[in-house]
Amino acid sequence: MNKLEKARLEVREMDDLAAGNSPVHGMTPLSKLFVTVLYIVTVVSFHKYDITGLFAAVLIPFIGYQIASVPVRTCFRKLRHVLPLVAFVGLLNPLFDKSIQMVIGNVRVSGGVLSMLTLMMKGVFCLMASFLLAATTSIEEICAGLRKLHVPKILTSLLLLTFRYVGLLLSEAADMTEAYSLRAPGQKGVRVEAWGSFLGQLLLRSMDRAEELYNSMLLRGYNGEFYYAKKREYGRYSWPAALITAACTVLMRFVNVPAWISHVIGGF
Amino acid sequence: MLKFENVTYTYPGGETVLNGLSFEICAGECVGLIGANGVGKSTLMKAALGLVSARGTITVGENGNPSEAGNAVSKALVMNAENLPAIRRMLGYLLQDSDSQMFMPTVLEDMIFGPMNYGMPRAEAEKKADEVLERLGLQYLKTRQNHRMSGGEKRMAAIAVLLAMEPSMLLMDEPSASLDPKNRRKLIRLLKELPGTKLISSHDLDMVLETCERVLILKDGQIVADGPAGEILRNQTLLEENDLELPFCLQIQG
Ligand SMILES: Nc1ncnc2c1ncn2[C@@H]1O[C@H](COP(=O)(O)OP(=O)(O)OP(=O)(O)O)[C@@H](O)[C@H]1O
Ligand SMILES: [Mg+2]
Repeated sequence: MNKLEKARLEVREMDDLAAGNSPVHGMTPLSKLFVTVLYIVTVVSFHKYDITGLFAAVLIPFIGYQIASVPVRTCFRKLRHVLPLVAFVGLLNPLFDKSIQMVIGNVRVSGGVLSMLTLMMKGVFCLMASFLLAATTSIEEICAGLRKLHVPKILTSLLLLTFRYVGLLLSEAADMTEAYSLRAPGQKGVRVEAWGSFLGQLLLRSMDRAEELYNSMLLRGYNGEFYYAKKREYGRYSWPAALITAACTVLMRFVNVPAWISHVIGGF
Repeated sequence: MLKFENVTYTYPGGETVLNGLSFEICAGECVGLIGANGVGKSTLMKAALGLVSARGTITVGENGNPSEAGNAVSKALVMNAENLPAIRRMLGYLLQDSDSQMFMPTVLEDMIFGPMNYGMPRAEAEKKADEVLERLGLQYLKTRQNHRMSGGEKRMAAIAVLLAMEPSMLLMDEPSASLDPKNRRKLIRLLKELPGTKLISSHDLDMVLETCERVLILKDGQIVADGPAGEILRNQTLLEENDLELPFCLQIQG
């Protein structure tokens, strides 16, 4: 199995994960979407030097993973290609911001280093939260939820098709690299000279396939509504649980939890 | 009922594939569509579904009750934008490439997709799917994931998806391709049992001979021969003119 083939299977694996059966899976898609968006907004809004406050924010997705019995490991395994990108965004900060913001023992930490770290953490936490949503909710459920909010059909269809298109693109790419390597033994990957035609062909083929799939959906009565999205028995606890999580998230933003804990412990 | 009158289609920037072609299939008939590779069999089917917009008149009619073949046609719709959804509801199309037919994660979900879009409640759609799988002896594929099936299994699953829609007319593009002898047999039996109008494009002339009463040969964008299957498939000269061969079972008899 080559790398792309694996990547394709991984995309499909998300469907497997989303078919699970935990209290998190049982929440209504909209309540989960709400919490996730709120979480992301909150995390992003942390001040760039507030590294201790930010530490506590990891707890929320972490607890979510435990309840959903989705291993945190899976998230990092699946997102391993994206994570470095996220980690690199702040890499240059230490060069620009050299003001000393924190002293740990006798190590002086500059603002640049701090902001680099917080930026990385923000990125990773947001990815963790989004992944949890994706791993506990099928794309159809999310689209159906959005339709309930009167998001236009064209947008929800686009979302659905994009999601399916990624899988398709990967599967075409896997087929093509396989065919390529069979006729180019001893080569590692695709030769640079062949990249142009390879990519062009890949785009054309996957677009054709996507069109055919979309046609098959139309032929079977798809009209932008998601009647067929799996209707679970959603738990009554969905919104209460969502609101409590939301409250905790907001609280964490305004109360520096690690500082508070050390204050309480130190107070005794 | 399916009627093509003077239908022409040219792929954008390509050659003319259908060239003023006309024919009619009556309600309840099972018709084979044969011809060499690339003569436009798949394109003809796509035109009937409005997937390619051909010039000319295409009429699709529903038989009042498919089990009483020969009944008066209760609904005849001319292909246009307004009638398109109703026409597509009547037709069940098996794509030449099963990979493009299935788009849901599992076979069962694919099977209930269509019926639920047409307003069937989930429980009923699942029951329907069960019946179809039972009939095809495919229960073991029910919860199978679409990307974890062999080529032939995908083909059979695609046929099941099609039948779950209960179309009043079947358009099948190469239904027997990549099936093993047992499943091919199963398919032939099924095609014989199923009521309703059928148009089957295939290179498996033995299957066409067994299942179809009538055969159309397509060449140069035209129907060049139209007649009883038994006659056309025995006419060696005609078949060879169209780059085809006698069905195996007739070759052996000599
Ligand atoms: N998307 C397309 N764009 C341009 N030309 C096409 C396209 N699809 C098919 N054709 C051309 O149209 C002609 C008819 O194709 P079609 O797929 O209908 O043939 P077919 O009779 O089904 O062949 P086969 O027996 O191989 O399935 C072919 O010559 C092909 O080159
Ligand atoms: Mg074809």
